[in-house]
Amino acid sequence: MKMVKKGDIIVIIVSLVLLVLCIGFCLLIKKDGIYVVIKEDNKTVYSGSLFKDDTIKLKHNTVKIKNGQAYMLCADCKNQICVNTGKISNSGETIVCLPNKVIVEIE
Amino acid sequence: MSAQQGNSGNRIKKLCIYALLASVCIIFSFIESLIPTALIAPGVKLGISNCVALMLVCFNDCKGAVFVNCTRIIISALLFGSPFSFLFSFSAGIISLFFSILLKKLEKTGILGISITGAVIHNIVQLAVAVFLTGKGVIFYSPILIASGIISGAGIGILCKILTDNKNLNSVFNQKEN
Repeated sequence: MKMVKKGDIIVIIVSLVLLVLCIGFCLLIKKDGIYVVIKEDNKTVYSGSLFKDDTIKLKHNTVKIKNGQAYMLCADCKNQICVNTGKISNSGETIVCLPNKVIVEIE
Repeated sequence: MSAQQGNSGNRIKKLCIYALLASVCIIFSFIESLIPTALIAPGVKLGISNCVALMLVCFNDCKGAVFVNCTRIIISALLFGSPFSFLFSFSAGIISLFFSILLKKLEKTGILGISITGAVIHNIVQLAVAVFLTGKGVIFYSPILIASGIISGAGIGILCKILTDNKNLNSVFNQKEN
């Protein structure tokens, strides 16, 4: 029996095509698949792509989205924890400003 | 067909071989669980234990392959797994084995093709279960899982080729067929 049959090569080619398709699919949805969601007082006030630069002014806070990162530019609260959280870019990360009830989340 | 006595002797022999193979599988599963593959991606495995089921498929003993695979999955889930890991490996194991048997019956591919198909389908089904259980986020693992399926499938296929070419193993299994 031969080591490699014709069908084996077909299987390998099909698998490789599937692999390339998957990589393409992932790149495609990764580009605008990550959203920044901002909630104020439990209400969603903003939802947009992480890769579209934007500055969102809220009642007490300012959120900036730049170069695929989101951060709290300024806040009028006392502790400034949200500003000190820094930049977030990965899915699931959050910036929370408790005094002003603002949540910035990457989805 | 052999006589009644020979037939029952054959059945006992079969049972012994299946039990032996299942225990070999479980040992392989245990060894695999010791190798940390989480560095690459969670869920990437070598799948050496699949080699046994694949070997049985190649010897045209599909019933035995299903039996050994089910036994392996249930016991290794009881020993080192959780209900979730059982759900993952059971669904993936059964569906990939089904496709392996299908390809063997079509007789268009060699061991390598059967092995790669089995491994890739195993990983795809696991991913589908993961999407169902945890959400769409895991879909980003799909390229890694498919690539690892191709690589480990090829490796296991070559290993299985060596096994099926072994004269002693051949004599055991072909005798059993008669």
